Amino acid sequence: MKLINSLTVAFGKAMVKALKLAGRDAGNFPGLVLWTLNKNYLKVFSADCPIIAVTGTNGKTSTTNFLNRLFRSLPKRDDGKPLKVITNMQGNNLDTGIGSMLLQYCDMSGHIDADYLVLEVDESHVPVIFKHFKLDTLVILNFFRDQLDRNGEVETLILKVQKFLKTYKGNLVLNADDPNVARLGKANPKNKNVYYYNVEKYEGATEELYEAGEGRFCPYCGEALVYDYYQYSHVGRFKCPKCGFGNIEPFVQIKDLDFDNSAFTIEGERYTAKHMGIYHLYNLSAVYAAAKLYNIDHKIIHKVFGSFEVNNGRLERFETADSSLLLNLAKNPVGANMTLRLLNQDKREKELLFVLNDNIADGRDVSWIWDINFSVFKGVTRVITSGTRAYDIAIRIKCSGYDPEKIVVLPDLDQAAEEIFKNGGVKYGIANYTAIQPTRAALKRYISENGGGKEK
Amino acid sequence: MSERKLKLLHMYPDVLDLYGDSGNVEVLKYRCKMRGIELEVSKHQMNRPDSADFSDMDIIYLGGGADYEQQLLAEDLMGCKDRIKAAYDSGVFLLMICGGYQLLGQYYKDSNGERIPGLGLFDYHTEASTNKRDRCIGNIVVETSLLGKPYRVIGFENHGGQTTGVKTPFGKVLCGNGNVRSGETEGYCEERVIATYLHGPLLSKNPSLADYVISKALERKGLDSTLCEINDSLEKACRKELFSRLLTVKASK
Repeated sequence: MKLINSLTVAFGKAMVKALKLAGRDAGNFPGLVLWTLNKNYLKVFSADCPIIAVTGTNGKTSTTNFLNRLFRSLPKRDDGKPLKVITNMQGNNLDTGIGSMLLQYCDMSGHIDADYLVLEVDESHVPVIFKHFKLDTLVILNFFRDQLDRNGEVETLILKVQKFLKTYKGNLVLNADDPNVARLGKANPKNKNVYYYNVEKYEGATEELYEAGEGRFCPYCGEALVYDYYQYSHVGRFKCPKCGFGNIEPFVQIKDLDFDNSAFTIEGERYTAKHMGIYHLYNLSAVYAAAKLYNIDHKIIHKVFGSFEVNNGRLERFETADSSLLLNLAKNPVGANMTLRLLNQDKREKELLFVLNDNIADGRDVSWIWDINFSVFKGVTRVITSGTRAYDIAIRIKCSGYDPEKIVVLPDLDQAAEEIFKNGGVKYGIANYTAIQPTRAALKRYISENGGGKEK
Repeated sequence: MSERKLKLLHMYPDVLDLYGDSGNVEVLKYRCKMRGIELEVSKHQMNRPDSADFSDMDIIYLGGGADYEQQLLAEDLMGCKDRIKAAYDSGVFLLMICGGYQLLGQYYKDSNGERIPGLGLFDYHTEASTNKRDRCIGNIVVETSLLGKPYRVIGFENHGGQTTGVKTPFGKVLCGNGNVRSGETEGYCEERVIATYLHGPLLSKNPSLADYVISKALERKGLDSTLCEINDSLEKACRKELFSRLLTVKASK
């Protein structure tokens, strides 16, 4: 252990402490300061436990939270103490956020004492972070277009991850139905620890691409990919007619979906879930595949799948005396399309709240909303829009053919919360990245002032 | 009165579809439908040379794409040169965004230093910095006089290419960059040509511009080109909001 490393840890820890004393969350800041001083600062940390990381465009936070819950539910250590599982559950997924978090848990020599480290990692930060840590399992969910003005094109991101995987030998858990992800299975031909997961064709699957998608061509031979069906966006059973890419035998598959009873089968056993959104089922399939690698008891999986909810603006429910709103984060068209699928699956009449911001972290460009498919919009009696770009989303919905008289624009979130709950009934909410927490806060304020429903 | 019907050719919708640009077609369709005008949309796709009859069209539309995709379709586009030229000569309305704008000029030198020949329909040419981070990104407002009186057009620009040699720009930059970094003018236009860097999509927040395209297309066909008022209260409120946000910031600098 070099002196400089000890000093780095001590300095970092002092920053975390100072922020806590000031009543602030550590967030990215201490990591950012250390990074500014030394680009390789992450190497001061060490851990002996398995590290499991989750990356991909959509579903990282949910999947990480499910894995964290599973590992936490494992039996206690031999000495009777509960297992120590460290996770960045709040979505601080850049190297600086992870660095800040590790500073809180490490000892003065930078060592992290834990049984499992479960990390959500931004796609572009995978190589930086795991240059210094030995990664045991990497779960990759999907690659969609996301905040083009911030992140650049999808292909650039995929190539970045692929380059990292060329020398990676740990477990690789891949979505068999996303060609952008499945192609990474061959990044290191020497790595035999590649496991694929997917979900059997569901009732909402289509023969034609229904929502904007990426990756239409075979990454190996350039031939146009052929699909038996699309589950959502470009996720579906694809194959390259020329070189056979996509001919995959999944390690885990979710089957026999029953949407009325929120149930499905994996490896012959029946499980239930709190939500049956198709993308959520893909996340659960990924979670199961990772759990299988660590031989997690099926009883624990049953319990977590059947009862756990992330409740951080990811399919989170808000109840008043006479209405119930299901709020979901959408950072990109695919995310929004997934909530619209749930909305359209629901046969009842409903109202929609859409909150759209254009802050730097969202990407200043809001034109992605035009890639959301509003062509099917079943039983929506009213739309309330809010956020810094409330009018943009209102215009977008109007031009899809929805009656503008039924759209209410209220950029102020408290007014929007009041309006959406005015009529009672079934509600859906969509909010983008910087809008999600303020939206949750506004809904909670309304409920605390006006009374909730069956709140937990 | 004869039935009003228009045809739009959407070129490379699968390849040139960055930043919601296909929304422009959706806006045109919507605004036509509200006036009882049928807008038939056909596609021209890569490597399918006989996919559409260009001469039969009223509007030809090209969206924006990434460098890699622009390179892919350059050859196919070259194969359409004569058909596009003939359509242009006969007064078909050309609407082009970003990549589409660049490819109809003399040439485009992309961020890899790769020179992609343009159709050469217009005199301008475009060169991008080889520093991929050197891009003009942000909200933009330009004032155009194409519609007979000054009209402010709101959009979002995101381009590495710097376009020079434009004789008749689309508009004057009120906020943002335009054809070149910190430029004074944006895009290229003729009576029946709009070529611009503005995404957003372009027509979504500029309803009068959308109507201009529709009425020019009707006029050429000898059809009644008057368009009745429709409910644009959302667009009006949106424009008011964005002007006060974007243009006051600029003035206070």
